[in-house]
Amino acid sequence: MTPLDALLALSLVTLLLTLSCRHQVWCGVLTTLLYGVQLMALLFMSTSIHYGVPVPSGVHFNVLGFEMHWAMTPLAWFFALITLGAAVASSWYASTSWGRHYAATGGSPGLLQVALACNVVSMLLLLCSADLLGLFISWELVSWASFLLMASAGGAAVRHALHYLVYAVAGGMAVLAGIALVYVATGSLSFDAFVASLSGLSAGRLWLLLLLFGGGFAVKMGLLPLHLWQARAYADTPGPGSAFLGAISSRMGLFGILLVLVQLAGLARFAGLVLPLTPFTALDLLAWVAAFTIILPTFTALRQTDARRLLAWHGIGQGGYMLLGVVMGDALGSAGGLMHVFNHATYQAALFFSVSAVVYRTGTSDLDQLGGLVTRMPISFTAMLIGIIGLAGLPPMNGFVSKWLIYQSLIREGHPLLFIAAVIGTLGTILSVYKLIHNMFLGQLRVEHEHIREAPWSMTLPMILLSAVVFATGYLPGLVLRWIAPVQRELGLPVLDYTLGGYQSTAGSLDMIWVVTSMLGGFAIGAVLFYAGGRARRVHQLDNYAGGHFLDAATRYQYSYNFYPALTRLAAPLYRDSFQWLESALVSMLQLASAGAQGIYRSVHPSLYLLAAAVIAWLVWGGGH
Amino acid sequence: MNAPVLMFALPLLTAFLLPVIDRLSGLAGRWIGPLVLVGNLLLGALAWPHLQDAPLVLAMGGFRPPLGIVFYVDRMAMLFAMGVALGVLLLWPAWAQDKDRVRISTLTMVLVTATTGLALSGDLFNLFVCYELAAISSYGLAAAGGSAAAGAATLRYMVISSFGSALMLIGIALVYQATGTLNLAQLAVLSDALAGPQGLIAFIFILLGAGVKAELFPVNAWVPEVYGAAAQRVAGILAGIVSKLALLIIVRLLVLVFRQPEAQQILLVLGVLGVITGELAAWRAQDLTRMLACSSIGQLGVMFVAFSIPGPAGVFAGLAVALHHMLVKPALFLLAERWGGALTRLPGAAQKSPLAAACFVLLALSLVGIPPLPGFWAKFLVVTAALGQGTPAYAGAVAVILAAAVIEASYLARVAAHLYRRVTQPLSANRQTRAAVTVATCASAALVSATLWLAPLGNSLQVTAAQAADRDSYIHNVFPQGVQP
Amino acid sequence: MTPDIGQVLFCGSFGLVIIGIFGIVLTNHLVRIVLSIALLETGANLLLVMSGYRPGAAAPILVDGTVPASMVDPVPQALVLTAIVIGVAVQAFMMVLVLRVHTAYGTLDIREIRTLLERDITHAAGVPLPVSPDEPLAQPHTVLHRGAQ
Repeated sequence: MTPLDALLALSLVTLLLTLSCRHQVWCGVLTTLLYGVQLMALLFMSTSIHYGVPVPSGVHFNVLGFEMHWAMTPLAWFFALITLGAAVASSWYASTSWGRHYAATGGSPGLLQVALACNVVSMLLLLCSADLLGLFISWELVSWASFLLMASAGGAAVRHALHYLVYAVAGGMAVLAGIALVYVATGSLSFDAFVASLSGLSAGRLWLLLLLFGGGFAVKMGLLPLHLWQARAYADTPGPGSAFLGAISSRMGLFGILLVLVQLAGLARFAGLVLPLTPFTALDLLAWVAAFTIILPTFTALRQTDARRLLAWHGIGQGGYMLLGVVMGDALGSAGGLMHVFNHATYQAALFFSVSAVVYRTGTSDLDQLGGLVTRMPISFTAMLIGIIGLAGLPPMNGFVSKWLIYQSLIREGHPLLFIAAVIGTLGTILSVYKLIHNMFLGQLRVEHEHIREAPWSMTLPMILLSAVVFATGYLPGLVLRWIAPVQRELGLPVLDYTLGGYQSTAGSLDMIWVVTSMLGGFAIGAVLFYAGGRARRVHQLDNYAGGHFLDAATRYQYSYNFYPALTRLAAPLYRDSFQWLESALVSMLQLASAGAQGIYRSVHPSLYLLAAAVIAWLVWGGGH
Repeated sequence: MNAPVLMFALPLLTAFLLPVIDRLSGLAGRWIGPLVLVGNLLLGALAWPHLQDAPLVLAMGGFRPPLGIVFYVDRMAMLFAMGVALGVLLLWPAWAQDKDRVRISTLTMVLVTATTGLALSGDLFNLFVCYELAAISSYGLAAAGGSAAAGAATLRYMVISSFGSALMLIGIALVYQATGTLNLAQLAVLSDALAGPQGLIAFIFILLGAGVKAELFPVNAWVPEVYGAAAQRVAGILAGIVSKLALLIIVRLLVLVFRQPEAQQILLVLGVLGVITGELAAWRAQDLTRMLACSSIGQLGVMFVAFSIPGPAGVFAGLAVALHHMLVKPALFLLAERWGGALTRLPGAAQKSPLAAACFVLLALSLVGIPPLPGFWAKFLVVTAALGQGTPAYAGAVAVILAAAVIEASYLARVAAHLYRRVTQPLSANRQTRAAVTVATCASAALVSATLWLAPLGNSLQVTAAQAADRDSYIHNVFPQGVQP
Repeated sequence: MTPDIGQVLFCGSFGLVIIGIFGIVLTNHLVRIVLSIALLETGANLLLVMSGYRPGAAAPILVDGTVPASMVDPVPQALVLTAIVIGVAVQAFMMVLVLRVHTAYGTLDIREIRTLLERDITHAAGVPLPVSPDEPLAQPHTVLHRGAQ
C-alpha cells in the first residue's frame, strides 16, 4: 500500500462518510478532520516529490485491453495540495454555523458536503492519472461532480448548472475525440504511445489535436470564448462551494493543458506550428487567447453589482494570467503562472469566504445594498483587504510575486503588447476590487445593518488562516517556489533559481523579504507618527456637514451605484456582449434544426421521401457505372 | 440438440392455445405466458455451452439446405433470442390488463415467436415471414387499449410498414432472380452475383423494409406517434427489443451477402441522418415518452453507423451499443410508465421515490456515455472503429455522434433537473407502477454489475462478434461438404 | 414482334407497384391508401412469382407421374402464397383500424386525422398545445385598454 493508495482510500472514506452521515455538526467536523488527514498524507509524500520521483499507486486495472494506472507526479502533487487545502477550508467553513443557517434557509448542507467529497475524489483521480483512458474517465467524473456541486442549491442555480453541463460535456467529447485519434494512430492509450505518435504528425493533424485537447480543457478553465457559463454557475453555488470551485475547479482545465500540451507534447512543437497565411504560431494564439481572457472578463467584473458575480468573473480573468505565464515557456513566466494558481486559490477562497460571511449576516450580496460594514465585521474586512491586495497583485501579498514574474517574463521574451494587455488587466482588477471593498465595507452603514455582528468563529478562522497564508507566501515566496521547481523540471521547462525571498538569477532578481520589510517598516514609521502625534480625534462617521445639512443615518449618502461612470461610458461601445450574442445565435440555430427534425417526424409528406429516394437511387446508379 | 427449435415452437404453440387455457383456468391463463418465457431462457441457457466451439445448424424437418430451411444458432443469435425472452418477460404487458388480457398475451407470445425466429433463422424468406409476424403482432399490441389515438398512430405505422414490406418482398424477388436461392449461406457463396447494381437495389429495398422496425431514417416517421400513443411497456418492447432484431437481419445480410462498399456507405449516411434528426427532435420534446422515442431513433442511428464499419470491429461495436441499449431503453420506458407525460408533471418525483429518480439518473448517464458505465465503452468502441477507417465520411460520422451525445446530455439533464425539483405536494404514483420501478431498479443494478465485470463481458462479446463476422465459417458450418448448386 | 408474356407481366407488376406507391403518396383518403397498399402488395407478389419464370416452360405439376421438360420455378409460388396471406391479414386489420378511427374522429382525411392524433397525444400527456403567436388572445390585454384611453 503506497502513500498514494492511502490518500485515495482516505478520500473514498470521506465520501462514504458524507453519504452516510446524519448528524450535521459532527459530519462537518469529521469531514474537515479527514481532509486535514488527507493533506497530511499528501505532505508525507513531499520529500519524494521534491526530488522529482513520482509516487506510484498499487492499483491498476486492465479493461478491454487498456491499462489504467495512477501515479503522483510533482505536477499532480502541486495541484493536489491546492485541492486539499481548499477542501479543508471549505469544509471547515461549511460546518456548524453556516451549515445550520443554510439548512434553515431550505438548503441541504449534507448534499453540499457529499458534492464536495465527490469533487475531491474525482480531482485526485484526475491529477494522479497516468494514462489517457484514466485521464478521460476522471475528467468526466470531475465535470459531473462540479455539476452536482453547482446544482446542489436548487432553484435558479440548476439552470446555470445545466448551462455549464452542456459546455462540459461538449469539452469532454472533444477530449474523447482527441484520445480516440491517438488510439487509432498508435493502438494504445499510454502516455508514451501518445508522445511517440506526435513525432510523425502532419501540421493539420497537430492543429486538430491542439484544438480538440486544448478546446476541451479550455472549456473547464473558462478561456475565451468558452467562458460564458462560469460566472453565473460559480456565483450561484452556495457559499463555501463557490469558494472551492473558484479556487481550484477551473484550474483542472489548466492541469489538463499542462499535462497534455506542455508535458507530453511540448511547447516547442507548438512554437513551430504556424497558423496558415499568418505569421502567428500556435503559441501566439494561446498567448493572445490568454491575454483576451485577462482583459475582457476583468472589465465585465468591473460592471457587476453582485459581489459573488464580481469575484467569479475575476476568477475567469486570472486564469488568463496562469496560461499566459506558462505559454511563455521560460523559467520566470512558467514559475509565475504556476505560482499564480496557488496564489489565486488562496485569495479567491478568502474573498469568497468573506463575501459569504457578509451574506450570512446581512442576507444579501448586492453591492448596492451594503456599506460601512467595517465597523461591524472587522475580521471579514481584514480578510477581504488582504484578499483584494493579493488579487490586484500588489505587494506585500503573494499575488504580487506571481504577477511580477509574469511581467518580467513578458518583457524579457519580447512581447510588449502582451505585457500591456497584462497591465491593463491589473488596472481593471485594482479598480474592480476597490469597488468591491468600498461598496461592501467602507462608506456608510445602513440602518438595518446596525445590529450586525461578526461572523462566528467557524467561519472567521478559515478566513484568517487563508489571509495569513496569503501574507506569509507573499513575504516568503520561496516556500511556494520550492514546490514549483520540481513541476517545472517535470514539464520540461527551465527551472527558476528560487530563494526564500523570491528568486535570483541572471534574468534579474526579486527579494520579497526586503520589499515587505521595508514596506512594513514604512507603515510602522507612519503608524508611530500617527499615534504619537496625538492630534487625532475619534469622530462618528455621520458627525459631519455637507451641502447645508447635517448628515443623518436614514439618508443614503453611500456612493455605490454606477461606481465608475466615466470608465463605463468609455468602455460601453466595446462591450456589446458579442460572445453572448454568438452563443444565443448558435442556440437559435439548434432550435431551428430541432423544430425541423420534429417536423420531419410529424408532418413531412411521404412524396418528399420518394423524391429523395429517387435522387439517391439515381446517384447510386450513376456512381455504379 | 433441439432446444433452439423449442424456443421458437413453444411460444407459438402457447399463443394459439392461450384462449383455450384461459377458458379452462384463469390463473393458468395469467401465468402461462411468463412461464413459457422462463422456459425459453432455460432452453437458451441449456444450449449456450454447446455453442462455445461451433454454431449449431439445425435443419427443419430434416430437409437439408439449400432447399430446406435451416436455423443457424451462433452465439450472437442465441444472445438475442435469450434477450428477447428476458426482455419481454420483464416488460410483460398483460399484468395490469383485465379485459384484453388474453388477446394481449397471445399477441405478445406471437411477437416472441417471431423475434426468436428473426434471431435464429438462416433463410431469407423465413426471416421475411418472421418479420411480418412480428409486424402484425406489434400492430395489435400498439393498437390495444381501444383509444382512437392508438388506432390512428397504428394506422400510420401500418401504412409505412406495409410499404416497407412490399419493398422487402421486391428485394427478395430480385435476390432470388439473381441467385436462385434463399438460403443465407448459399447466398453468401453466390454473393458475387449480387455485387452489381441489381444487388445494390435489392439491398436498398430490403434495408428500407427491415428498417421500418429498426427505425432507420426515412421510414421511422411512425416512431414518436406510436410510442406516444401506445402503452409504455409496448413502447419499451418495440424500442428495446424488436428494433434490435430487425437490425439483426440487416447485419446478417451485410456480413454474408451484400459486401459492396456502397451498401456500407448507404447505411452510414442513413445512420448519421437518423442520429441528427432523432437527437434534435428529442431536444425539444415536451413529454417524456416521445423524448425517449426520438432518443431511441438517435441511438439506433449510432448502431447503424457502427454496423456500417466493415470487419469484426464494426460488428463488435454495434453489438456493444445494441446490447447496452437493449438494457437501458426498456428500463427508461418503465420509468416513463410511472411518470409518463409532460415534463412539467415531473417535479417532485424524486421526493416521492428517490430510488426511481436515482435509477433514471444512472440510466441516463449510461445512455449519454459517461465513463465508467458500459454506455461509454460501447460509444468508445464505435468512435475508435469508425476513426480507424480513416475516411472523412467516418470522421464526420464520429463528429456527429459526439455532438449528439452533447445534445443528449442536455435534454436528459433537463429531465433529471425536473425530477429533483422540490414541490410542496408531489403527485402520488399509480400503485400498479411499483413493479415497473422494481424492474427498472434491477436493470440499473445489472448496469452497475456490467460495469464491474466489464472485462470478461467485453471479451465474451468480442468472441461473439468475431464469430458473427466470420463469413467463411458460416458457409462452412451450413455446408460442411461444400455447396451443391 | 409479339412481346413475351414474361415481359408483359414484368412491366405489369412494376406498373402495379408504381401505381400503389403513387397511390399511398398522393392520396389523402384513408380507404384509398389501403387500396393502394393492396395494389402495391399485388404488384410485389406478382414480381416474386415472375422471379421464377422461365420462358416457354410449363406449370410445375407432375402429369401422369412424368416431369415436364422444363418447369417454372415452384419455390416462388410457394413463397407468394405466404405473402398473399400476410397481405390479406394486414389489409383486414387496417380496415378494422380505419373503422375505429372513423368512428372516433369522424373523418377519413389523413391530414385532419394527423392533427387530431397530435391533439390527443399531447392531451394525454398533459402538455399544453403550442399556440401560434398570430392567434388572437382569448382575453384582451388590460394594458392595451389603458393605453387607448
